[in-house]
Amino acid sequence: MTPDPSEQSTGLRVDGPSLRELVAAVAFEANRTIGGGNVSIELLRRRFTSRGWMDATTHGLFIAVSRFTPGTVVLAYCVSLGFRYQGWPGALLALTLASVPGALIVFGLSVTFTQIEPYAIARALLAIGILVAGGLVVLSAWHLIRPYLHIGSRWRASVVVIITVALVVAGATPVRVLLAAALVSCLIPMRDEKP
Amino acid sequence: MNAALIYLLLLKATMTSFAGMGSLPQIRQDFVQTRAAITDQQLSQAVLAGRATIGPMGAYVVAVGYLAGGWSGAIAGWLAMITPALLAIPLLSIIRRWHHLPRLRAAVDGVVIASAVLLVGSGVTLAIDAIQQLSRLNA
Repeated sequence: MTPDPSEQSTGLRVDGPSLRELVAAVAFEANRTIGGGNVSIELLRRRFTSRGWMDATTHGLFIAVSRFTPGTVVLAYCVSLGFRYQGWPGALLALTLASVPGALIVFGLSVTFTQIEPYAIARALLAIGILVAGGLVVLSAWHLIRPYLHIGSRWRASVVVIITVALVVAGATPVRVLLAAALVSCLIPMRDEKP
Repeated sequence: MNAALIYLLLLKATMTSFAGMGSLPQIRQDFVQTRAAITDQQLSQAVLAGRATIGPMGAYVVAVGYLAGGWSGAIAGWLAMITPALLAIPLLSIIRRWHHLPRLRAAVDGVVIASAVLLVGSGVTLAIDAIQQLSRLNA
């Protein structure tokens, strides 16, 4: 594939997938694992780079956008992907295809859980499942915080963790805790940051 | 519970989190503690449903919506899950311009770290709830 002249100025390749190719890629890669969004993002990256639709710079930009966007990371990644290559139709289709299948399964599972709840054996199995879910939530927290435990970010992470725990103990709401964490992190001197 | 209210409450939670499960503490506060629309046990079931499915982990908000308001609540939950993702479009151009600013990166880092701490609390609450359920079944 010949380099696109516009890539030099924008860092983005313009000869991406067609709408049909985009839809097929997102529908398949975003819905074939249960490991969460990070796994789906990696699968999408592999597919798009192997087809020559995306380079590392563009992937890095999409990752940054999805980390800055509130809500579910993989959905923001899919919107970025869809919008960049196919505009609004691409963004909306990618968002729909990445979210609807999982949402339908969650809906079906919720209905099923509600119906089987009166049975003791079902309650026991649900309780065990919930115990596992609790462990997985803690694991999610670990995956979130782990990138900040390297030597350059440890100071910032420690201060934010202490402030967060103090605010939670004091009874602050999650929104206030997050706003305070953003403010504190913003005010911490950059002396320990890697260039 | 009214579907519009479910949407707004779930949207508040999803708009103030930066990961799929990051909205859990806010949802627990609004739906379990403040409004008693669902129980801790139901919230745990919603999380379990979200973790057992394909796609994004944040899909558990669909289950929260369903448990709080039926099928219309589930649709409200889905809308609350996807709405924040649309912000990626304006952010795409903004971040290309300002991503190099250390203060902006630091603010987002702070939010992500605090989200992780809040998640630990939610995970421990889920585990305690499950252990209590198992104890009641054994009694």
